[in-house]
Amino acid sequence: MLLILLLLIPVATAAASYFARRRTVMEAVNLAGFGAIFFASVVLGARVLADGTVSLANGFFYADALSALVILLTASVALICASYSIGYLRDDQQSGELGDDASGKEQLAQLRMYYTLTPLFVFSMLFMAVANNLGVMWAAMEATTLASIFLVTFYGKITSLEAAWKYAMIGGVGLSMALFGTLVAYYAGHNLTGSAALSGLNWSVLAQHSAELDKTSMRLAFVLILMGYGTKAGLAPMHTWKPDAYSEAPVPSAALLSTSTLNCAFYGLIRFYILTSGCLGAEYPSHLLLLFGLLSMGVAVPFVLVQKNFRRLLAYSTIDHAGIMAIALGIGGALGSLGLMLHMTFHTIAKALLFLCAGNVYQHFKTDQFSKIKGSVIKAMPLTGVVFFVAMLAIIGMPPFSLFQSEFLILRAAFDGGHTLTGVLFVVFSAGVFAGVLLLVGGMILGPGGDEPVAARRPWRNGSLLALASTLVIIGFWVPAPLFELISRAARVVSGQ
Amino acid sequence: MLMMPVLDLQFGERIVTLMAALVLVLQIAMVSQRWIVLHIRIFAVQSLLLAMIAATIAWYNHAPHIYIAAVLTLVVKVILVPILFERLVTRMEIHEEIEPIVNVPLSVLIAGGLTLVGYVVAESFYRPDAPGVGHNALAVAISLFLIGFFTMINRRKALTQVLALLSLENGLFLAAISLTYGMPLIVELGILFDVLVAAMVLGILVYRIRESFESMDVSRLRRLRG
Amino acid sequence: MENAAQFFLLLMLSPLVTGVIRTLKARLQTRRGPGILQLYRDLQKLFSKGMVIPETASWIFTVTPWIVFFSTILAGLMIPMVAAEAPLGLFGGVLAVIYLLGLGRFFLALSGMDTGSSFGGLGSSREMTISALAEPAMMLAIFTVAIGAGSTGLTEIAGTAIGQSWRFLAPSQMFAFAALSLVLIAETGRIPVDNPDTHLELTMIHEAMILEYSGPYLALLEWAASIKQLVLMTLLINCFWPFGLQPTWFGFGAVEGICWLLGKLLLLSCAIVLLETVNAKMRLFRVPELLAVAFTLGSLALISTFLF
Repeated sequence: MLLILLLLIPVATAAASYFARRRTVMEAVNLAGFGAIFFASVVLGARVLADGTVSLANGFFYADALSALVILLTASVALICASYSIGYLRDDQQSGELGDDASGKEQLAQLRMYYTLTPLFVFSMLFMAVANNLGVMWAAMEATTLASIFLVTFYGKITSLEAAWKYAMIGGVGLSMALFGTLVAYYAGHNLTGSAALSGLNWSVLAQHSAELDKTSMRLAFVLILMGYGTKAGLAPMHTWKPDAYSEAPVPSAALLSTSTLNCAFYGLIRFYILTSGCLGAEYPSHLLLLFGLLSMGVAVPFVLVQKNFRRLLAYSTIDHAGIMAIALGIGGALGSLGLMLHMTFHTIAKALLFLCAGNVYQHFKTDQFSKIKGSVIKAMPLTGVVFFVAMLAIIGMPPFSLFQSEFLILRAAFDGGHTLTGVLFVVFSAGVFAGVLLLVGGMILGPGGDEPVAARRPWRNGSLLALASTLVIIGFWVPAPLFELISRAARVVSGQ
Repeated sequence: MLMMPVLDLQFGERIVTLMAALVLVLQIAMVSQRWIVLHIRIFAVQSLLLAMIAATIAWYNHAPHIYIAAVLTLVVKVILVPILFERLVTRMEIHEEIEPIVNVPLSVLIAGGLTLVGYVVAESFYRPDAPGVGHNALAVAISLFLIGFFTMINRRKALTQVLALLSLENGLFLAAISLTYGMPLIVELGILFDVLVAAMVLGILVYRIRESFESMDVSRLRRLRG
Repeated sequence: MENAAQFFLLLMLSPLVTGVIRTLKARLQTRRGPGILQLYRDLQKLFSKGMVIPETASWIFTVTPWIVFFSTILAGLMIPMVAAEAPLGLFGGVLAVIYLLGLGRFFLALSGMDTGSSFGGLGSSREMTISALAEPAMMLAIFTVAIGAGSTGLTEIAGTAIGQSWRFLAPSQMFAFAALSLVLIAETGRIPVDNPDTHLELTMIHEAMILEYSGPYLALLEWAASIKQLVLMTLLINCFWPFGLQPTWFGFGAVEGICWLLGKLLLLSCAIVLLETVNAKMRLFRVPELLAVAFTLGSLALISTFLF
């Protein structure tokens, strides 16, 4: 019942927003809806901790610790973004970004589109995490792309269209490859359960019998899935849509894209990894994952160093972290999986925070180029400046923040498992990104002051910022026990214990 | 003299092979010609052939759930999507394609080469023990996938790229039918629904690109770099 | 005996086929047309006229009409028209036919350039471009059929085709048929590759090469062109749809065979006319695209004999 509720609430929210007449109603509905989703996801987490797994409808819906973690992360980011977007979109409306007709109808239509598409977007991500059937998982992933295309074109600029087109095309091709991979995986398993049975594509069933799957097919399937879901995750060389999409979409949507969609893409990847390593042993998928992971990290470094636009910088940082997570998955084992899950959690919080800060900066200075932000952020917007700086330190892995701990864990797993070259390259690339981001963003935040006035009040936005920032800082020192238990259980699902 | 052994499995295999070959010819025709409306219609005919192949396989292998997939394909890909796109083309008043990146004769030859690659890949799936139709259709499916992918890279008009993406999905549908007699119905439903929504979304996007850029030429989308 | 019979059939039937195609086309365009027997009358008129030979022409100019005429007839004698056994079938199969036709084309191109007029050179270069692309396609398509029959002898090919009634459902046959049809259009100079009725510089290919000829030489070349058309059409028909091919020329079977041949030729003529009426002539630099498709279809046909 809980799972159905989890899926129904966002749909209801979308419907309610669609038919609402006033902006305040839409905002309230969204906030309430996402709050309810967050609550439901916490309850789900508790249920999973208590019962092990939750399943419904003869195994059609299935949630274990991994699903519960992904859902919890998605729901939290969605809630924060919902409260942030209230302030963000009000500012946009005032400054005329949404269209400037006198009656306000055009603006209302834009707002309606945002407040309807975002719950649908979240719905598809939640669906992906609770679907047991691999094919339905794919359909949900495709739905996330479709829902977010119009979020990317939100501002209707020429560059937005270009970004949306790249996103649509590259995402479309990638997802077709993923569909092919799903098909081949189905073929690998159809000897077990019969062709017409729905359970033939059920992950839980396939995972149990993974040793009996057809080996050559699974090889091909994994490559296709890696390239397919890897496109959505932003692993190089399929990453080229990311910088464009993240810099053109409205900031809360970009935050959702870079955290929750990334997590869902990895969720799909992890499910297939479990199947493949059960069938072929962990070496084959591990090699591929390490390759793509290192490639992503390597590609991110030069683009970070010469970046001129801070939203694109955040996109490359996401590509870098996607690479780190791929490496963690590739290393595997108890340590690697734990590192992966911790990193996923911490990255979600930090990256979302970064995007929200970037949104504040963008709306105040009206530009996202480093060179044009002549004054320092910290003088003009003290709260944002401090939070931005803290979040930046966190994302590049500076101790004592949480990401340092998860990256260190991954490194340890690498050296323990004999992946020395990987570990060395990991350090080198991380250093590169560290330097680039610190210099660029630090310079922007702490640079020599201009005479920018101190900014106006923004309760919604700054409130969300503070909430998330405090979470980030606290988590660096203390992870609440149930959360940590959920994370370790998720890690155990990945490593197969 | 011309007796039709309709219930004979071999006859069914022949018919399916023939239709699969026609699908391949249509895909190559899509690579070679330059009128967008014709492109849409070739896509419609190709999807029709696929629905017929699905129906034939359903008949000969007594797998009734494939009928539903065939009917759905018919409705979505043969009727709805082409009508949608033809209306779009009429509204946008663009009828011809500009020169692709690799010229037409060379791209036709490359398409032929990709067909060969498709056959080689399909060989590794060859199951001599499995009865009924399949091997040829799988090779054609993979070729469709590869040629669709190549066309996406090669062509510059946005609508043609979308059609290439859809023909890629056609290839996947054929692969599903021939490998595993289709996927579970829910999955097929989900996929077809996605295809429909994708066609609508992409159609709107193409229209807006045309409005903003005065052209569907996607090689003009170059403002975002680095 | 069969040699003579097929020889006469080739000579007499070809102008009729050309006439039928022209009349059908005219009727489709709601004209009355010149009548089915017009080419006979034209040939008769041309044979009785005097000739004008340019001063700058060499021996090639005078020799070409004979070479073209006789090579085409020779090629025609090697294909099965009424009987499955071609009269000169022992002397050559598929390759001989292709090369004899190629010989004719070679000399025609030479003679086009021989007179030194620009139209001739223009026609020759266009013809060579098209044939450079069309010939490989034709060879691939015919080899596909030959592989299916296990021999390049046209008698064997036709014989094998008679035996298996559903063979033409095989994809390789279909691809080969499609490729060969496209090549037929290119080689006989039909729309959309070339317009046989035009004398405009922009559009003529075959006509340009024979522009300087007059009198009996022109008659020979026109006749040869229609014989070549008949030869290629019969090749297409009897390789893929060999219903009604008789074992030998003798007996009442010959009459039945001729009737089947006429019927099939009529059908093919209708198809050609339809194609010509519906399409417009392609611009010259688009023709390679069409022929590339034919080439790819031919290669696919060949490959699919091994794979399908």
